[in-house]
Amino acid sequence: MNIVVLVKQVPDSGSERGLAGDNTVERQSANNVINEMDEYAIEEALRIQAAEGGEVTILTMGPERAAESIRKALSMGPDKAVHVIDDALHGSCALSTSKVLAAALGTLNPDLVIAGAESTDGRVQVMPHMIAERLGIAALTGARKLTVDGGTLTIERQTEEGYEVVTAATPAVVSVWDTINEPRYPSFKGIMAAKKKPVQTLALADLGIEAGEVGFAGASSEVVEHAKRPPRQGGQKVADDGNGGAALVEFLSSEKFV
Amino acid sequence: MNFDLTQEQNDLREAVSALGRRYGHEYFIGKAKAGEHTTELWAEAGKLGYLGVSIPEEYGGGGGGITELTVVCEELSATGSPLLLLVVSPAIVATILARHGTDAQRAEFLPRLADGSLLIAFAITEPEAGSNFHRLGTVARRDGDDWVLNGRKCFISGVDHADYVMVVARTEDASTGRLMPALFLVPTDAAGLTRSQLDMEIVSPEKQWLLYLDDVRLPAEALVGGSTDAGLPALFAGLNPERITVAAMSAGTGRYALDRASRYTATRQVWGRPIGTHQGVAHPLAHAAIQVELARLMVYKAAALYDAGRDLEAGVAANMAKYATADAAALAVDTAIQAHGGNGMTTEYGVATLLGAVRAGRIAPVSREMILNFVAQHVLGQEKSY
Ligand SMILES: Cc1cc2nc3c(=O)[nH]c(=O)nc-3n(C[C@H](O)[C@H](O)[C@H](O)COP(=O)(O)OP(=O)(O)OC[C@H]3O[C@@H](n4cnc5c(N)ncnc54)[C@H](O)[C@@H]3O)c2cc1C
Ligand SMILES: Cc1cc2nc3c(=O)[nH]c(=O)nc-3n(C[C@H](O)[C@H](O)[C@H](O)COP(=O)(O)OP(=O)(O)OC[C@H]3O[C@@H](n4cnc5c(N)ncnc54)[C@H](O)[C@@H]3O)c2cc1C
Repeated sequence: MNIVVLVKQVPDSGSERGLAGDNTVERQSANNVINEMDEYAIEEALRIQAAEGGEVTILTMGPERAAESIRKALSMGPDKAVHVIDDALHGSCALSTSKVLAAALGTLNPDLVIAGAESTDGRVQVMPHMIAERLGIAALTGARKLTVDGGTLTIERQTEEGYEVVTAATPAVVSVWDTINEPRYPSFKGIMAAKKKPVQTLALADLGIEAGEVGFAGASSEVVEHAKRPPRQGGQKVADDGNGGAALVEFLSSEKFV
Repeated sequence: MNFDLTQEQNDLREAVSALGRRYGHEYFIGKAKAGEHTTELWAEAGKLGYLGVSIPEEYGGGGGGITELTVVCEELSATGSPLLLLVVSPAIVATILARHGTDAQRAEFLPRLADGSLLIAFAITEPEAGSNFHRLGTVARRDGDDWVLNGRKCFISGVDHADYVMVVARTEDASTGRLMPALFLVPTDAAGLTRSQLDMEIVSPEKQWLLYLDDVRLPAEALVGGSTDAGLPALFAGLNPERITVAAMSAGTGRYALDRASRYTATRQVWGRPIGTHQGVAHPLAHAAIQVELARLMVYKAAALYDAGRDLEAGVAANMAKYATADAAALAVDTAIQAHGGNGMTTEYGVATLLGAVRAGRIAPVSREMILNFVAQHVLGQEKSY
């Protein structure tokens, strides 16, 4: 089975994050890591490869420093990577990102595309759907379990109430939540081998996409303004001078909790 | 001059740290107090190739150097879940076998030392020969093709779950009558080998043992290197890796203690503000952090010199690193306890649990006095005093 895993480099969600002057995500000074959910996607791909054979390819669209995350992804065990890198991509919206990734996938002919269910920076949760739509293949999204039976894929889609069982034929795009598995740590051999694995870089021209279709120029929407989330309000203190209980209930009912 | 690890070494550091954090100090202490071993951590680190980083690739290892093993030792210790036997099985024993073992010994032992499925303890210390190992009393006598060992060893770590013990004994050189060191691989279930546990005031899953060797009969293949001439160089081959990795463990433990303490002092409020705002609390921690970082630098210098094949210079650096990290770790743990107040002495806050271990670091595997002797003699050119 030919599997492609979509891996995005994001600023570490554990440290201070922000937007740059042009209202795009600040990536220069940030401590950049593999989008957490994508590690689960890699793990799932490697498990399927171990059972079914075939090849696992990492696909990333991102600036030069995304190469670091590609190397780390490869150290977990995938065979090779494709890095789409082009100055014109800066400022791309979700629609154009999906156009680029779909075009790159077109050169790879995957049976299965696995992505994280959401990135910790953009958080739009739409990339897998958009890519599937552009490629004209099925989207099995939000999986907490994936089984492969020949050319049939079955997922348990995690929902708030429980799960749904959804099936599709390959080729398809599957997106996964962090409930699906426990990602492996890179082995020392994996770490040493990562740098020697082939990483193909593609520019927009290689994908037949014009610079004007992506980036700020092609964005279907524009981030005009942003503001920091306001600091938390101090909360309301209820002093218990004998009728604290009543005061509590009054507060809770005023907020419609009871 | 370059103070950076390579990209791969850094990736290794991150990976080992992530693994160690998943286990952590509570796991380590839980195992120690239950009288169990940190088997799961050992096995997982082995499977990931972290135990075998420095073993040659042709024998299933990672093909890295002592620097890589140093990274593994330090990072696990820095998460509060150190593996003492890294110093023994991969650092001392595997290095000795890789450098001085026979082809058959390498092929038999190294692949399983690399993945951690085999554990070999190391026994040199005797009741009458600790600092002074020229007085070894364990004797190996030739009997036909076999060897017969008699003697006693003490303080030997990890024998209860080791498959073999590499025992340092002496043989009699037939021509000169001089006693020469020789190393033997003794199965822990060999007839004539018995052991009893020493009661130690150290909270650790690894116990120390007294070993009694009474007419332990071994085949010729048990002699490391296949010749008694291999003994002395083999013994010396293990010393630098031992000191460097032990120093790395101390450095990691120091980092762990300071990390716990600084997280505590940044939030604990006594007079309405975090206690870390008092210089009386923060400065001792800062001082300890400087000592730990200085000592760490020497550990990596020693590892780099060793990996560059500069054994003599590495020897000086390794001894200095061992001395400095042991003191820095003891200081860091003591300071961390003080910063925690009463909580510092609880099990829950996980710093006093390290007292015994860091104190022992100033004694084993070589005492600070013997390092001072070494530096006085070999660096400062003083006459030997003993
Ligand atoms: C309307 C709109 C306007 C935007 N405008 C801008 C803008 O002006 N400037 C700007 O910087 N950003 C902008 N963004 C954000 C940016 O486009 C998204 O971050 C990007 O499209 C990817 O979306 P996501 O990471 O949120 O995808 P999600 O759907 O949350 O990600 C799901 C998965 O898709 C895969 N994936 C996502 N991105 C990549 C990638 N690059 N390479 C490989 N795999 C990937 C990963 O597997 C990931 O886990 C905009 C987004 C929207 C919706
Ligand atoms: C936790 C722990 C684990 C250990 N694990 C192992 C193991 O796995 N295998 C193993 O073989 N051994 C092991 N040991 C033993 C350890 O290596 C010895 O304890 C150490 O080498 C010191 O030897 P000794 O105890 O005989 O002290 P001694 O040699 O009796 O020394 C006693 C004191 O006198 C000082 N002294 C001695 N000679 C001089 C001198 N010339 N000048 C100045 N001061 C001097 C010493 O520094 C020390 O302070 C372990 C010890 C401990 C505590």
